[in-house]
Parts: sequence; structure tokens; C-alpha cells
Amino acid sequence: MPQKLWRKPLDTEKIKLPMAEIHIIKDFCKGCGFCIEFCPKNVLEKSDEINKRGAYLPKVVDESKCVLCGFCTAICPEFAIFTIEKKCKEGCENGEKE
Amino acid sequence: MATEKKVEEEPRIGVYVCHCGLNIAGTVNCEEVARFAAALPHVIVAKDTRYACSDQGQELIKNDIKEHNFSRVVVASCSPRLHEPTFRKACEEAGLNKYLFEMANIREHCSWVHLHDKEAATEKAKDLVRAAVAKVALLEPAIETEVPILREALVIGGGVAGIQAALDLADTGYKVYLVEREPSIGGRMAQIDKTFPTMDCSICILAPKMSDVGHHPNIELLTNSEVQEVKGYIGNFKVKVLKKPRYVTDDCSACNDCSEVCPVTAPNEFDIGLATRKAIYTPFAQAVPSTYIIDREICLNKEGVMACDKCIKACERLAIDFDMKPETLELEVGTIIVATGADVYDPSSLLNYGYTHYPNVLTSLEFERLINAGGPSGGNLIRPSDMKIPESVAFIQCIGSRSKKGNFYCSNVCCMNTIKDSLLIKEHWPDVKIYVFYVDIRAVGKGFEDLYRRAKEEGVIFIRGLPAEVIEDRKTNNLWIIGENTLQKELYKVKTDMVILSVGIEPCHDSNVIQRLFTLSRTPDGFFMEAHPKFRPVDAPTGGVFLAGCAESPKDIKDSVTQASAAAARAGILMAQGKVTVEAITPEPIPENCTVCGLCARVCPYNAIVVDKERKLVEVIEAACVGCGTCGAECQFDALHMRHFTNAQILAQIDALTEEDADKKIIAFCCNWCAYAGADFAGVSRMQYPPNVRIIRTMCSGRVSPKFVEHAFARGAGAVLVAGCHPGDCHYIDANFQTQKRVERLWKKMERLGVDKERLQLLWASAAEGERFASKVRGMEATLNKLTPEELENSKKGFVGS
Repeated sequence: MPQKLWRKPLDTEKIKLPMAEIHIIKDFCKGCGFCIEFCPKNVLEKSDEINKRGAYLPKVVDESKCVLCGFCTAICPEFAIFTIEKKCKEGCENGEKE
Repeated sequence: MATEKKVEEEPRIGVYVCHCGLNIAGTVNCEEVARFAAALPHVIVAKDTRYACSDQGQELIKNDIKEHNFSRVVVASCSPRLHEPTFRKACEEAGLNKYLFEMANIREHCSWVHLHDKEAATEKAKDLVRAAVAKVALLEPAIETEVPILREALVIGGGVAGIQAALDLADTGYKVYLVEREPSIGGRMAQIDKTFPTMDCSICILAPKMSDVGHHPNIELLTNSEVQEVKGYIGNFKVKVLKKPRYVTDDCSACNDCSEVCPVTAPNEFDIGLATRKAIYTPFAQAVPSTYIIDREICLNKEGVMACDKCIKACERLAIDFDMKPETLELEVGTIIVATGADVYDPSSLLNYGYTHYPNVLTSLEFERLINAGGPSGGNLIRPSDMKIPESVAFIQCIGSRSKKGNFYCSNVCCMNTIKDSLLIKEHWPDVKIYVFYVDIRAVGKGFEDLYRRAKEEGVIFIRGLPAEVIEDRKTNNLWIIGENTLQKELYKVKTDMVILSVGIEPCHDSNVIQRLFTLSRTPDGFFMEAHPKFRPVDAPTGGVFLAGCAESPKDIKDSVTQASAAAARAGILMAQGKVTVEAITPEPIPENCTVCGLCARVCPYNAIVVDKERKLVEVIEAACVGCGTCGAECQFDALHMRHFTNAQILAQIDALTEEDADKKIIAFCCNWCAYAGADFAGVSRMQYPPNVRIIRTMCSGRVSPKFVEHAFARGAGAVLVAGCHPGDCHYIDANFQTQKRVERLWKKMERLGVDKERLQLLWASAAEGERFASKVRGMEATLNKLTPEELENSKKGFVGS
């Protein structure tokens, strides 16, 4: 059989993927669930929280999984969700700006 | 040549019994067999000769043909698979049509397998000669048709063997299609750091060749592609190739901008998971084609949903196209070279060495990537657990080779690979202590022993005796190696920072697919079998197909390249000739007997029979027919004349073989490609079995008409064996399914007649399974021994006239 890949790649630390901040504008959301359904990394799920429009809001399960593809922003009919790249405040090695 | 005469005058037969030195004469009394033959009907002269195949032997036959005006010749010697062409040529040179020649195989099927029973072997040889004489008397002259050979070639596998074969053929001037499954050509050699014994940088010497392939006007490179279907025959193959989409067009300039922005990562297969790649990537820097590829398995964009467009935006040349679809290409080629390579042994099942449990236990292939400048550590020797340079490294040899736990065979390259790796470490990190635990060091090859000596001089410590166990120190991830030094007869316990398992080479995990597609054979090891181990080492048993590289057996780069060039030359010979003759063994319809029932057309695996119900005609398409004869076996009305394997000829063989002591004999029908070759293999390997079996050769087991089996029983045969290729391995696509059906029908009939079903056996045995054939015969001996006269009477009566 071809060899199974079982190791954690040795250069994992060196590969920097963008870190995301996910923002949900709670009042805009109408609870259609598109963002939850179409997120390719399954970052979101339905929460118990209801906004004043009576919609169940999405909630972020694991922000670190988000790769900033921006698809949620693109498909949200109410412009209620957007992502921004985390500016390295804490934890960034080279202490980039801000 | 008297070819057209329908009514032959009485046949004049010459018989030659070959001593083959002592190979035959050591067991069989050849003079006695010759005397016996001389008394057979139509035999004019019968002689024994020391070496029939030698020049003098052939001269003797040729002179006799002229002097005695022979109209047929029998040579009793080795397998027709070996020397039939030799003697046919001699007959032709003496003005006798080559289809008027027949061989009796008294070496592989007799003297070599009954070494200790000279009397029985001599009796068996007489029987075989009698059958050959009976058949030869009924043979008919024939003229072979010529088939054109397309001057295009297909090479499967883009490793170093495939690359070399493709370049050689393309440089000769033939169009070549090179099909590679991976996104880039290069194969295993591209993964390796340095090569032994010269310590050349592997990719540095391979990359120019890869790029030659990419730019050669005669080579069409099909990467990310797989062969799906092969039809046709030598010179005229029709091949379907599935070209999977890369989702990146040829406009790609390999600038890596897309990969930079791609947010998805996965372990890179090329680095055996030691390094990371993105969803859009190129497996390695020197890849050919350099065009990137998108791994849709992990890409965020699934069918119909485009979630991420980062690569599209980053690509200045607009080379990314998510709408690419798989394509099926239909190629027509004359010759095919199979260079599908090999896998490495997976040592995770050897629990005592802790591979996959201890991070600092690596395979030799992982190690190649680790110390490769293009690899994850940039060529630095580090150990995976803490990325530090190890103070000591241990190599363990024969992992998965020469042992019951893995494979029995020696993988050929691992010893030298380890010696090379140890010298590489010594070259850059001279203070690292190196141990090599081995069984034997096999350094057979030009310059190999020098390299071994150099390694010893450099201070590499060679310890004979494989470790019993490798144990990890949980805190430091260091490894303790425990075992016995078998030279000094003392136990060792060695601490090292890193262990490298020198893994062996295995047949490709899906080589069974290639085997099916091309109807190849594999040895018990699983590697593809050559047509002849000495004189046709790169020819596959299937005409027009050739083998190169590790697909045939484990070998190093030099041997792979040598074999690839040989395969290219062999394919080139065919294409330069531009035509090949096809054996005249196709059927001729006999309209007087034909009822136009169409059964023959239904069983033909090649659709080579056209039934015209209106004109009441059955026609054979000569170019499509390969002469398996399954149509002839299906025909109930004797309406198909299977040339060279006619009903009359085979029945005459059965009559001859059952003339004396039929109840003590097994009449075996063996297909030319697998069972007969397997019986030959049993002979070559001197596997001993009882001398009761008499083999009749047919091209396919599908030729064995139920009539033949019934006739054998009616003549009082003790048992009948029908033997062919394994289902799915049939050289005539699926003709042996008909064999199975017919044998099952016969079993039912035997049951109805109250005849012991055990007396008819069906065996699937490949050309490499000599032991399988031999043990079947041994097993059937018991059936013969318990035969009662009543049982024999019963079957004789039951089958007479049926």
C-alpha cells in the first residue's frame, strides 16, 4: 500500500495562515442560516440566541479555523457578517504593526 | 509446397527424440522411445539425437526432410513454448510448411518432473510421442496473415524507467504517449537525495531528462492521468486514458503567487508528509509539467459552490479554471511499455520497531526527503521530535525483505542505499555516530564494494544481527536498540537518537489493475513476469507489451535505465518492421454443418464472429480473431474448423493417450499461457509429481469442448483435468468463463450418470504456479487409486456416443 501519512509535517510552525476575526451584526441577521450552511470550514453553528427580529443567530464555534475566504460575507442577504484579518496584537512573533 | 491439396496422400512422418544432453536422456531412454516411434503409423524414420536444436540437429532434420520426402515432422524434446519457432524455421528452410510440425514435450513435462522413475518416464515419453504423431498426421499447411504495426508507442509510468523508455523511442522517431498518474513525472528517483555509488545528486541528473520529456516534439505527456481500458492486440492497441483535470491551464508560469494566498494546507505526499503543501501546489520545484494543480479534495470550492477565490485573484496570467472537466482520450498505439514502478514496504505492522509510535523512527524514504535540500529541513540532518542534529543514527536493514513478516525476496537496493546515506551523514556531520544493523550486506555491482569499504573506513559501525526491539525513552525520545550480534555471539544494547528503517520495495499496490488491463502474469512476489527469464527479459507474455523498471523486479536506477532502453529497443524493432505475422490458428466456418444458431458469436470475447441469419452465414473477422477457440468448443455441429487445434486433431491426441492403461492416466487440457506454462515452470524448477498425467495443449482452456472430456472418459481415462488461467487473468479477456460453465455442466452430467465427479477437475494456475499444478496432479493420484472397475465401466458406457 502507499505509505500512510501519519506525521505532523515538520514545517507546520512555519506555515502562516491568516488569522480571522469574525463579526456578526446581530441586529441585521434574519436567521436564514446560509453562512452556517455554506461555510467551507464549518466555523459557524446555530445558537440559542434570538435577536430583536426574532431570528436565531449564528455563533462562532472555532474562530481559528476560519481562513478568511469571505464567502459568508458574499452570500449573506442582510450584510450581517464580515471577517477581517487579525492584526497581530498578541502572539505574533515579529510584532507587526498595531 | 503442396498447400491446396484437399485429399492428402498418406502422410510421411519423421520423428526426432532429443537427448538434450542428459536433461532428457538422463531419465528417459531415448533410443527406446525412438524405436517405439518408428513403429507408429505413417512414421518413415525415427531417430534419437543429442541436441535437436543445435545446428547439426537442425541440419539432420532438414536433410532428412529432403531425403525421405517427409510431409510432417515431430520433435520430442523441450516445451514448444521454447523451441517450436526454432524447429518450425528449420522445417520451412527445408521446404516444409511450418504448420506441419509438432512437438512432444518430454523435458519440462516428463524427464524433469519424474527424475526418479526412469521406467515410467520412458513410458510417458512414448505416450507423448504417440499423441504428437497422431496429431501431426492430421495437421494442415497454413499461410500466416500479416498485421500492420502502428508506429506510435504508449509508456505507462513516468519514473526514471518510463522517462528513459519514452526518450529513447521519441529520439528514434516514434510518437510516444507517456501516461503518469501523479501530477509530475520523476517517480521515486525525484524523491531521493543522492544516488549510489557515485553520490550524484538525484534530481540534478534527473531534472534535465524530465525537462527533455516535457519539450520533446515526439512525446505527448499525460500527467494526472490513468489508463482505463486496453483493447486490441500487438501492433494495434486501442487505449482509453482518463485525463483528470488540474484546474490550472498551461498558462501557469509556476510563480507560486496562488499557493502563497491559498488558505488550505495538507501534508505533501511527495515529502511523505514531512512537509506541508497548499490546496493549489506543485509537488516539488523541478516538477514537469511545472503547471500547478488544485487538490479538489481539500480545496474550499466544492462542485457548484465557489467559496474562495484567493488563487484566482492572485493569478496574474488567469490560469486558474475551476470548470475543467475530466477527459477520456482514446489512443491508438502499436506497442506499450509498462513502467509502473513500485511502492515501499510499510513498516507500521512491525510493532517491535515502533514506527508510527516513536517520532524518531523513520523509513529510508522519509530520510531521503529529510536530508534533501528541497525537503522540509532544507537538507539539514535533524530528528523529528526536537529538530536537533542527532548525535547518533542507527540504520536497520531488511525491513520487509528476506523475512516471513514482510516479503521473502531481497529488495536489491536497500544495502547500498544505507551505505550511501551513512556516507552522506559522515560527509556533512562527521561527528555523528552511525550504526548499521544488517543480515548480510549485498554490495554486488560496479563500484558498490568500494563504497562499502569507504563507509567502513569512515567509521560506520556495521553490526550483524537485526535488533529484536527498539524502545523509546519517553522523556528524551531517544531510542534503545536491543538485539544479538551474531558474529560475536553477544547481546547488544545501543542508545541512538534516531533510527532509520531500511524499507524494501514492493509491487505497486494497484499492479493487479495493470495486470488485468494487459493480461500480464505476476510472479508469487507480485512483480510482473517476463516472457522468458533469460532471452526475453523485457518482453511481457502479451505480444507488443514490454516491461521496464521496478514493475518487473526491485532494481536500482542504473538497472531501470538499462531495462528501459532495452524495452524501447524491443518495441522499436516491432515498429521499425511495421508488420507482424499472426499465427494461422483462426477458425474457418464450415457452411454445410452450420445451423446459424449464433452460439459461437455469443461466446467470442473479441466480437470477431458475424452471424448473418438472412444469408445463413457465419463469418470470422480474421484481424480481430486471436484464435482462442472458445467458439469451436461451443459449436455443437462441427461447423467451425479451428485451424491447428481441430476437433479431429485433439480427439486423435486423446485416442493416442488412452490407447494403453487409460484408467491409470489423467488427461490434462492446459491452456498455452497459464496452465501449460505453469507445468513448464514445474519442470524447470524440477518439482516432482506422479508420472500419470498426459498434457494436451490448447491455446485457451476455452477451446476444451465438453466433447473432448466425454471422449476421454468414453475411452476409459481415469481422470480428466481442465486447467487454465485464473478468472480475470485470461489471455482472451474472459474466455475461461466458458470453460468454467462447460465444466460445471459436465459435473452435472456426471452426477446424473452416477460417475464420480472427482474424476473431472478444474484448475486455475498461472504461469508462475508450477507448484499449484504439481500438487493438483499429486492430489488427483488418490482419485486414480480408488477407481473401481464398475466405476470405469459406468463412465465408459455413460459417455460413449455422447
